Amino acid sequence: MDVNLDLDRWLAATRLVVCVGSGGVGKTTTSAALGLYAAITGRKVMVLTIDPARRLANSLGLKQFGNEEHQVDLARIPEAKGELWAMMLDSRSTFDALIARVAPSAEARDRILDNHVYRHMADTFAGSQDYMATEKLHDVVNGGRYDLVILDTPPVKNALDFLESPGRLVNFLDERVLRWFLEPAGRGIGGALLAGTTAIVYRLLGYIFGAEFLDDLATFFRDFQGLYKGFVERHDRVVSLFRAETTSFVTVCAPTEPSIDVALFFQEELRTRKLPRGGVVVNQVHLCDGRSHDARAVLGERVAAIAADVPEPIRASVLARLGMAHRRLAALASAESALIVRLRAGAAGGGFFQTVERQEADVHDLPALAKVGRRLFRPAEPI
Amino acid sequence: MSENPVERLLDSRLVMVTGKGGTGKTTYAAALAVLGAVRGRRSVVVELDNQRPSLTAVFHKEPRFQPAPVRLNLDLANLAWEGALHAYIESVVPSRRVTNLILNNPVVGRFLDFTPGSREMVILSAVGALVEKYDLVVVDMPASGHAFSLLDITRSALGLFRSGPVRTRATELKSLIGDSRTQVVLVALPEEMVVNETLETIARMRSFQMLHHQPTVFLNRATLPSLTEVERELLRRLVAAEDLLPLEREFVLAGRWEDGLEQATATAQRVLAEQLGVSPLLVPPSVPGGVPRDTVEAVAVHLGRSVGATRREIAWT
Repeated sequence: MDVNLDLDRWLAATRLVVCVGSGGVGKTTTSAALGLYAAITGRKVMVLTIDPARRLANSLGLKQFGNEEHQVDLARIPEAKGELWAMMLDSRSTFDALIARVAPSAEARDRILDNHVYRHMADTFAGSQDYMATEKLHDVVNGGRYDLVILDTPPVKNALDFLESPGRLVNFLDERVLRWFLEPAGRGIGGALLAGTTAIVYRLLGYIFGAEFLDDLATFFRDFQGLYKGFVERHDRVVSLFRAETTSFVTVCAPTEPSIDVALFFQEELRTRKLPRGGVVVNQVHLCDGRSHDARAVLGERVAAIAADVPEPIRASVLARLGMAHRRLAALASAESALIVRLRAGAAGGGFFQTVERQEADVHDLPALAKVGRRLFRPAEPI
Repeated sequence: MSENPVERLLDSRLVMVTGKGGTGKTTYAAALAVLGAVRGRRSVVVELDNQRPSLTAVFHKEPRFQPAPVRLNLDLANLAWEGALHAYIESVVPSRRVTNLILNNPVVGRFLDFTPGSREMVILSAVGALVEKYDLVVVDMPASGHAFSLLDITRSALGLFRSGPVRTRATELKSLIGDSRTQVVLVALPEEMVVNETLETIARMRSFQMLHHQPTVFLNRATLPSLTEVERELLRRLVAAEDLLPLEREFVLAGRWEDGLEQATATAQRVLAEQLGVSPLLVPPSVPGGVPRDTVEAVAVHLGRSVGATRREIAWT
């Protein structure tokens, strides 16, 4: 795909970026930097994030606004031509809002929100956050208020769980399951032949989970019945959104063995699920290509010149430490570059491949994010 | 109880290791389990329903639901959903025939798979069963947010199930989590985000009464201070020098990089100690590019020092 040879062109053709990867690899920073870069070039961008570092959240205004859509003040980035918006995902309130949207009436909505089972279920599903990421996404993308949406996904390493989670909810609400519970005598599925087994199983479930629970659940299902169709439709729309031509998945990782493994796994997952692969970003890369670690030879004269007032043993000790630091950094850089070579080979054909060196300070304000964005968008090579 | 935090962990029955993603949870779970085994306790290290078990790379063996030995006194397991569900149903239903009836019913399968909290309850129960069989169970938990939800499930289950065996089991699990011989370990890194998440996790666990003890916090990849103030001042002058040659700059940047790590470590240590009332245990970074087994060994050797475990005992044969 030659569009990926040029990240600017890739971004221009993209309406939804989904950043995936394990935790602690700078996924939120990459999402925000991508968003800011696009906003600088004139687009109206929404960054949906989960749990940003406190100071990064502050610079995006997320502390005050939390899970409301709000515009980031770009006064410190005078060259910005577009708009940057941000929102933090809060699963519980998103779930309640979703119920409100698909409920046929205000009474139905209230009944469900008050339901014993729902209140616990919302906690459980909400706890994972994965599902809610996709739920909110659907809203934001279809609202048409932004021309680029960037989704910073929850850190997962097992699978693209958040893609499955709408399915998980839909499965739970599957009509067959509903009917089974609403008509426990077994008239629902399989006809009379299964009635005997079903009745036994139902009684056993009552024994395991307690009869009250099955009653609670039946009430819940009765109230939820009308919502099922709405859920399925939304799920289908989210799935087709992920497969859209203008959607692009970006795998973010750091040059460590576990992170590279997860990134390769994601590349494979995306490929087998036929999801559009935008590319790979390797963050936090250390650079140091020196072969000699003799600090005295390189810096001895310089140190003598600028620190004539400092006693010789201290100068010697600083030089020795610089030599050691250089040796360590070079070893780290070389181990990382071996990992990057492996990732690059394994991710071949999956879009662009970009490395970003470790920033000297934490990236927590807009100018620093803008710098990372520029770094991301320097000419990339195809995998 | 021992004053030595590592000894206290190795003397407990259940150690749950969590932390933000990428901090080294698996390494610490494995290292603690190895040390437990070295000290002669029948130990098992487990992952919870991990589709791609991280412990495979450490022990060169794929963990399964049934624990299997990996070295003297140490077994390895992955409490995957299917196996855990089977064991769970068997434990609450008296007859095997009835167990199969339940497990083979397609609607029940879905029901159990998706009923809020059933997955978590079933997997925690499998952990509880191991605690009955081993002297020491070390769990490589999910990342902190998910670990909290997992432990919190007993509370949801008690709210959701008002009678029956599941409720009984939830009560048992709740008391296991809060037991005096259960310990929580958090692995942190000298980074602002990680430190914050560590503190938030502990605060949440504490407010939900999940902690019987002060959790043990390991500050992984900690770089101990090496520069004195005079030396640091000299480094600052070098950094400020404007006409450095590229090679000179590379050395200066290396020095700055290491100094940055030292300062980040000092900050993380201070913040954690201030907020928790005890200093975290600092563990130096291992050699870059090392394979997972070497990393586990290095951490085990480091932690083992305080309990008299030697490198020779720890090393794999």
